[in-house]
Amino acid sequence: MFRRLMALLLISLLLVPAIIAQDTNSWNDSHSLAWEYDFETGYISTTPLFADEQIIVRTSGNSEPAVTAFDTNGKKTWQHLNPSSTSNDMSPLFHVQAGQGECGAWPEMVLVGWTNGLIEALKPSDGEVFWSIQTEVIGWGVTGQFALDGEFVVVPTRQGIGQYCLADGQQQWWTQTGLGWRNGVAVDNTGYFVGDEAGQLWHINRTGAATSHALQLGKIRHPPLLTNAGIILHTQQDSRGTIAVVHSSDGRVLQQFSTGLSPAIPSLRGDYVVTGDSSAIRLLLCTNECEIIDEVPFHTNGEIGWMDNGTILAPSNTPNSAWGLFTFDAYENLTFESLEVGIQGYGTAAPLQYLVGGTTFTAFGNDQSLLRVYSDLDLSESLSNNEFDWGVQGLIFAMFLLIGSSTVSLLNGKFDWFLRTSSLLFLIILLLIIPDLSMQWSQAFDEKFPATAPSEEWNEQWPDTWLGTQIVIFEFDGEEHTAGGFVGHDTVFSLTLTACDELGFELSSESTEIGVYVNSIAGVESNGWEFTVDGSKGIVSADQSIVESTSIIRWYLA
Amino acid sequence: MFQSMGVHGPALSPLASLLLDVVLLGCAFWLLAKPTKRPIIDSLFLMSLVLSVSLLRVVMQPIPNVQPVTVAALLVGAQLGARRGAAFAVLVAMTSNFFIGDGWWTLFQAAGWASIAFAGSRLSLVTTSGLNLRRACVASLIAAFWFDLVVSFSILDGTISITEFITYLGHGLPFDFLHMAGNFTFVVWMGNWFSGLLEEEPTLDEIEFAVVNGHGIDG
Repeated sequence: MFRRLMALLLISLLLVPAIIAQDTNSWNDSHSLAWEYDFETGYISTTPLFADEQIIVRTSGNSEPAVTAFDTNGKKTWQHLNPSSTSNDMSPLFHVQAGQGECGAWPEMVLVGWTNGLIEALKPSDGEVFWSIQTEVIGWGVTGQFALDGEFVVVPTRQGIGQYCLADGQQQWWTQTGLGWRNGVAVDNTGYFVGDEAGQLWHINRTGAATSHALQLGKIRHPPLLTNAGIILHTQQDSRGTIAVVHSSDGRVLQQFSTGLSPAIPSLRGDYVVTGDSSAIRLLLCTNECEIIDEVPFHTNGEIGWMDNGTILAPSNTPNSAWGLFTFDAYENLTFESLEVGIQGYGTAAPLQYLVGGTTFTAFGNDQSLLRVYSDLDLSESLSNNEFDWGVQGLIFAMFLLIGSSTVSLLNGKFDWFLRTSSLLFLIILLLIIPDLSMQWSQAFDEKFPATAPSEEWNEQWPDTWLGTQIVIFEFDGEEHTAGGFVGHDTVFSLTLTACDELGFELSSESTEIGVYVNSIAGVESNGWEFTVDGSKGIVSADQSIVESTSIIRWYLA
Repeated sequence: MFQSMGVHGPALSPLASLLLDVVLLGCAFWLLAKPTKRPIIDSLFLMSLVLSVSLLRVVMQPIPNVQPVTVAALLVGAQLGARRGAAFAVLVAMTSNFFIGDGWWTLFQAAGWASIAFAGSRLSLVTTSGLNLRRACVASLIAAFWFDLVVSFSILDGTISITEFITYLGHGLPFDFLHMAGNFTFVVWMGNWFSGLLEEEPTLDEIEFAVVNGHGIDG
């Protein structure tokens, strides 16, 4: 009886590929690469924009931060540089249609907020600057999402919020709030809402008068979402995140849901809210109150795009980046499909979807400075494009053989052969899943048992603008080389790459099955490099070591 | 595992490396020389075994934490005894690490495999009817965990707290299971063959001595 049950179980494994084949790669099978553009350096940290029949992309984190436009065939049409914006630009490009108000008339514009505090209004046709204004810089300038309010644009600056005329950029008022990062603005009929790094939710009325509510739930790093159930916030604490529903009038916390680390920017569609973090994508239904209706494991920390067809696209912020496509059916079950778009590496930018001549295009970009645009295919074309991968097919064939052999051996009572074939099958499966398994395990382990590390000492000689930011120290040749003022990095590796860029160091690394191994920094190799995070020795690879918003990383020679 | 993650334990100076190699080699030769001198054919057999398994380890190095040496050490210990098993373990660790990467961890790898060889010699894995597969399978699973634990001690260089060490062990659990799965597969596929390969055939002198002795007793 046992043998037959086991045999049945093994035979049922044969059906798995058939079941998976119905769903897996359906997006990849129905899309083909239309064009791509390699910026060579810099990060695409925010979603591209489609305006005036052009795809407009911002890149930053290199020596030439830029906004670049392409026509629908992928030909570069113009580029606008801002070399003074030296940090990662996280403020999404903001599209404004032409209009008229008391301040005057304005054409169709793309508004750009830079980390050096500059706000520019560009004409999408040629990139010409229509107007520009300078806002405050405290370490960083503008990093949050703008909001439109009639003839005004509302801009979250580093430590405040301002209202500006769309016609000429004239500031109407500016009000101080708390220090913010990625602090987008939400608008309702009472005024504006914005969060800050101290966890305060601010309400500012249309004359600029501000009130705040100290929620004590962690940093607020996204535009608050206004729903019938209340204001939705996904806050960031040191070892976890919290989805909070807050009363819009008195700031009372009505509901709380605990989540994983490093929340992404939540997105709202009707009564549905999608959130993400380092552990999962969650779908909430917020009518009179919010409830989590489903969640799937995924690692995303940036923008989440809600496409016109109701699907959700989010970048995976992991070294082996793949985008996640999420759909939910009438029964509100969230399903996940991994999209392979040929770009590896960390990512925070949601894809852009746009329509040209009846064809839907989807543009992907991430920290690898590569923009790839895919178009819909018709089914016949997609079938002819299927390539036969001998390696994968061979492995699948071998696994089929092993399943079959195991079953036959078991039924024939040849226990020795059953052990041999089934153990080999199990080993192959384990080897295939070990990279993802170990990463998920490490994250789950860290969340369950957060490290209580001795903290690295603040150096009085460091600039004050580095306070409350991420800092990296490299020790070699008897000297310390330090770079700081970084915000928004989730892993040691991502932060280190940025610090190396800042200091002009070349970093050489290699990808292994169990993480990134750093070979050399600034040409120094020796016996390898080790690191500490806030004084605590790194015990997993740099790309799997999570950093907090105020972490100090120290690299030293082994 | 720890190599790829950038955790090395203390870095050794060239002199310390040399000293470590000398100590390990000394241990291996001492283990081989005692208690009686081995015939040259025995030594050649052991050397070829060391080279083959070392080569296998080097070739399989891209596969994370699948360690053929663990099972080999277990079975060598079971068939050839604790001393030759431990010598085999030390020599394989040194030889293979010469290609893969030598350092402080070599000492712990050698210690881990030597202790497994010792355990193999005491667990009655080989009976008159051959390898006890069930017992060998269980031993290989435990050996995987034991080896990973012993090698993990190499990161304790005075800068890591107990909590951090436990966290380090916790992070490595998926790879421990991979090591276990690899060991199990090796045992069920190669265990009997490898054990038979190591089985000591009596020499002509020994056969003659046994026959004469038998006749003497009969007489």
